[in-house]
Amino acid sequence: MAHQAHAYHMVDPSPWPLTGAVAALLMTSGLAIWFHYNSIVLMTLGTVLLLLTMYQWWRDIVREGTFQGHHTPPVQKGLRYGMILFITSEVFFFLGFFWAFYHSSLAPTPELGGCWPPTGITTLDPFEVPLLNTAVLLASGVTVTWAHHSIMEGERKQAIQSLTLTILLGFYFTFLQGMEYYEAPFTIADGVYGSTFFVATGFHGLHVIIGSTFLAVCLLRQIQYHFTSEHHFGFEAAAWYWHFVDVVWLFLYISIYWWGS
Amino acid sequence: MNRQIIVARRTIFSSVRRQVDNKVPQKQKVFQEDNGIPVHLKGGTVDALLYRTTMMLTVLGTGYVVYELVTAAFPQKKD
Repeated sequence: MAHQAHAYHMVDPSPWPLTGAVAALLMTSGLAIWFHYNSIVLMTLGTVLLLLTMYQWWRDIVREGTFQGHHTPPVQKGLRYGMILFITSEVFFFLGFFWAFYHSSLAPTPELGGCWPPTGITTLDPFEVPLLNTAVLLASGVTVTWAHHSIMEGERKQAIQSLTLTILLGFYFTFLQGMEYYEAPFTIADGVYGSTFFVATGFHGLHVIIGSTFLAVCLLRQIQYHFTSEHHFGFEAAAWYWHFVDVVWLFLYISIYWWGS
Repeated sequence: MNRQIIVARRTIFSSVRRQVDNKVPQKQKVFQEDNGIPVHLKGGTVDALLYRTTMMLTVLGTGYVVYELVTAAFPQKKD
């Protein structure tokens, strides 16, 4: 094998960018076909292709890092920059929905009754399930930090326990939020209140599910001895993402649930 | 005083029932083998099967979406 005279990672040719792009094409076109021609075949095919791409692409990254040793310090630095930039883009994504919420709620139109919450909307009590959800996510932030310290200190069993607890708290949040959605006295169709509420909290909930999945993959990798006390960037990336999800919830809780009630 | 320490073998119920072995060194050997196989196929037969399935869905999917979009763009008028 020709040995590289540098510390960077020249990746093997990979089919996953192509399959991922085609998946995106199929999902978006499939969405349009579903709306107009009542067929979900294309969209489903796109989703399956997306899942296959994600699984194989990330599997390959684990192979390159953990089994082939390509994630040298400069490469890891690049991965850190990448994750930070990605999370920053997600911050801007949520910023848009907060902008929409404040646009409508700071100057409520006459159609809403000139008030916020709008006339006829029964808001959720911020001191019931939403407060519990806040406690759940804050606790999960603590447990994920505990998991990090356990990994750094080589405490295998504690790392597994605290990571498992973090994931369970994530599931508990999703379950509670699901119940709230089911029981809510208003729907997404209830004017701008319903729209801003369900789109903002809905995308947040999706990110909780994504974050929980990322952490679950980390749990499997921790069990399989992939992480060392010095090198566990996959876990760190998952923890950063999880903290981001937690912070978004805090802003949602303060703005929409509390101030907006 | 010499004491013989007897290690008692008894079943301990712990949260991790099955002992998961560290297979990372074996994996490292497989994936560092100098055989020119790209990383997405280097794991063996399952890799190839999964790749072929994915690529088949990609090609078929591309064909299908082109068909659907052309059909949607040029609707057949009924007389």
